[in-house]
Amino acid sequence: MNAVTHISFNTHVLVRLPSNNLKICELKPDSDISLGKFGAFKTNDIIGFPFGTTFEIHYDNAVDDNVAGTGSDSTSRSSKNKFKIPVGTISVIESGVASRSGSDEEFTPQPELQLIGNSDSNKNLINVGNSIQKLTTEEIELLKQQSASGEDIINKMIEAHGSFHQKTVYSQEKYLKRKKQKFAKRFTVEYLSSSGLLQYLLDKGDVTRALDMSEESLGMILNLANIRSNGTYLCVDETGGLLVYALLERMFGGSNDNEAAGKIIVVHENEHANLDLLKFSNYTEEFMQKHIKTVSILDYFEPPTLSEVQEAFTPLSDDQLKAMKSNKKGAYYRRLKWYTGQLDIIDWATKLQYDGLVVASTLHLPTFIPRLGQRVHGSRPIVCYSQFKESVLELSHALYSDLRYLAPTIVETRCRPFQTIRGRLHPLMTMRGGGGYLMWCHKVIPTDPSEVKAPLPLVSANPEATVTEAKKQKIE
Amino acid sequence: MSHFSDYKDLIQADDWALIWISRDNIKPVKITAGATFNTRYGSFPHDDMIGKPFGSQIAVRTRGSNKFGFIHVLQPTPELWTLSLPHRTQIVYTPDSSYIMQRIQCSPQSRVIEAGTGSGSFSHAFARSAGYVFSYEFHEIRYEQARKEFEDHGLLQDGNLAITHRDVCQDGFAIQKGDKTTFFDDERLNESPSPVQINANAIFLDLPAPWSAIPHLDEVISQDSKVSLCCFSPCIEQVDKTIEALEKQGWTEIEMVEIQGKQYESRRQMVRHLDDALQRLRDVKERKQMGVERRKRMFNKLISDQEEPYEQRPETPKTQFNPFGKGSRVKEGDTGFQWKEVSKVESEIKSHTSYLTFASKIVNKTRDETLVAKLADEIRGSGAKVSVPNKTDDKIGKLS
Repeated sequence: MNAVTHISFNTHVLVRLPSNNLKICELKPDSDISLGKFGAFKTNDIIGFPFGTTFEIHYDNAVDDNVAGTGSDSTSRSSKNKFKIPVGTISVIESGVASRSGSDEEFTPQPELQLIGNSDSNKNLINVGNSIQKLTTEEIELLKQQSASGEDIINKMIEAHGSFHQKTVYSQEKYLKRKKQKFAKRFTVEYLSSSGLLQYLLDKGDVTRALDMSEESLGMILNLANIRSNGTYLCVDETGGLLVYALLERMFGGSNDNEAAGKIIVVHENEHANLDLLKFSNYTEEFMQKHIKTVSILDYFEPPTLSEVQEAFTPLSDDQLKAMKSNKKGAYYRRLKWYTGQLDIIDWATKLQYDGLVVASTLHLPTFIPRLGQRVHGSRPIVCYSQFKESVLELSHALYSDLRYLAPTIVETRCRPFQTIRGRLHPLMTMRGGGGYLMWCHKVIPTDPSEVKAPLPLVSANPEATVTEAKKQKIE
Repeated sequence: MSHFSDYKDLIQADDWALIWISRDNIKPVKITAGATFNTRYGSFPHDDMIGKPFGSQIAVRTRGSNKFGFIHVLQPTPELWTLSLPHRTQIVYTPDSSYIMQRIQCSPQSRVIEAGTGSGSFSHAFARSAGYVFSYEFHEIRYEQARKEFEDHGLLQDGNLAITHRDVCQDGFAIQKGDKTTFFDDERLNESPSPVQINANAIFLDLPAPWSAIPHLDEVISQDSKVSLCCFSPCIEQVDKTIEALEKQGWTEIEMVEIQGKQYESRRQMVRHLDDALQRLRDVKERKQMGVERRKRMFNKLISDQEEPYEQRPETPKTQFNPFGKGSRVKEGDTGFQWKEVSKVESEIKSHTSYLTFASKIVNKTRDETLVAKLADEIRGSGAKVSVPNKTDDKIGKLS
């Protein structure tokens, strides 16, 4: 089974709830997953279905084996168990749980609505508040306790609603949608893409961690930086691993079998890199160690010298190693690991030429980027993200006066989602603001003016171009 | 040899290069020994470029002066190519193409259908990331141009892109032996079954009538996994008809969005303080006062009948105080003045490219029950210790 296309054991997946919130779940075999008020289900029941499948949780045959902590004898159990959600059975349903702008269920009149009358206008509708709903909160709670399906509850609520038939069909749909978000026991399991991970962060209010980045900015970074599976990239990621994950996904597509040689050298500000979000990724540890290397800014900008490293440690020959006592071997291998690590750092900081520089950092960019840019190969792109336009503006001014950087450009991209219902197409009334800004340029290698040759004998060129004018042209 | 997919160090003969003259003047050039690249700023012999690293600045002294002109020689990327390519049709620009690729999760796992090829700019971006790209073009001349371009650029040789001459709205997407396609040219695919197993999981339709192509998709999309689709249409009426067709064919999660990309120039604005403006006016006023007093004295002499009321006009000294360089041409950023860094949006923006209508479809929402049972047993058998490593935070710690 392919873990990229199908729901598989021991992977992290995104679960979209009826409320349109996202949850990341780890699919441990023989375990239960609780979605809070939306119910709970057995992990094994969803394994093997393609990503994107929507499931509904049922409780009809009320087999109490699975029920933990509810029922008549619950008083005798610990109070912790009281909050456990009964585990239901699962069926696959055809339409999605909710789309990104929550509209896919709206395009045709809901089956529930076809049986009930509606009104052309709402002129007879008088707002009398809660009393129009004959069901009391207690009664609804009781229905939920009886584990009636979401649909049953909603249908009972419509029956008990005094003026439902006086609503227009549009407002009835909105009512249904609201109630479904509250009572439906549906969920969709999605592959954990980089966009999904970003959306998850934004949904749970972690905008700061994502540095206010939008999906469109993330996509733009990957394209402008020309990310491909065979590149060696220098990267600074202050989003806790979101950016590195997006690079990995673009390079390897979530597959541990990808044999491309691409590498990401992550330069970090603290003693250890914070790539915490990679704990959700489904790459093996071995795969990540092969393709992600981390080095602190101190080690990167002030690497040890070869002689320092060699002075501190000399690897033994095979014969010497064989002769070594086994109780000393552990210490030897630890030293050896340190030694190769130091040699790697020397390589990354003084020998490698990078195929791209990708930065999402809050360090002062005009001083940081030119130093990071030193080891970027000529003609390779540099893309730098900031939440604030002023930061990339300052950076672009700094790079503009540096001949090693060609045409620094400030780029902004914004996505405007629409309510996507036939006959009712319009941009959404509200959307998330922000999304950040990018600086994009290319590393170049300036010529030494003293080495410039005289013109060819046959030149018919216009002699007006001077360095400054050509530079000015770049602005235009 | 691919000019796009390998990261190249040195410029060599027969390489494709993009020569950057200015922001809106980037020229694709095949590097050829003995050839010359001519611009209005000078002539640049290719031999001066060969052997230098990509990204090198090449300069020549212009005739009869001590000034020089220069260019930069870059290795092509899909994004730079988009800025330089010969337009055969309207092209998909990077803000749109990058969003589409991100949203449909374009990666080595993707098997992409692109129809039509058009100017081929998006094909280059897809080919960079996707496992395989099936591109379709119905216009025969454009098909030939694109095919030649993909061959020149090494995209066909990379073995993950095929272009087919086809009106997909009429004849669908299936590719068979004997069709006008580059698919079977690849030696490794020569023996592939016919029709080809396309199994697309990412679809991009840039067609005037995508709704007539949508019904043909079912026979070529992946049958057992999620398929993502994007239709690229400039008119809202097209979007409406597209949604109708998508709903009818069982596509879900339909959402239309619009992308607005903007570029900003970095500029400088002079900082002009109120106090300086006041001081300047005081200065003007003071000198004006001198003239007023002179005229007053002349007038008084005139009424008191003194002879010769005219007083010589005094030499007015040029103003000493000109904080903002008024009257002279001040260059933006002149170090004699104080400046603030500002940004200015480009003078013409692409206010509308197209609407992007996304949708997804899963043909077969079933699972192999015996396989799942087997997998579960295997995992239980291995004693709860799992094949996939424990996902704990210390994994990241170990990385560093």
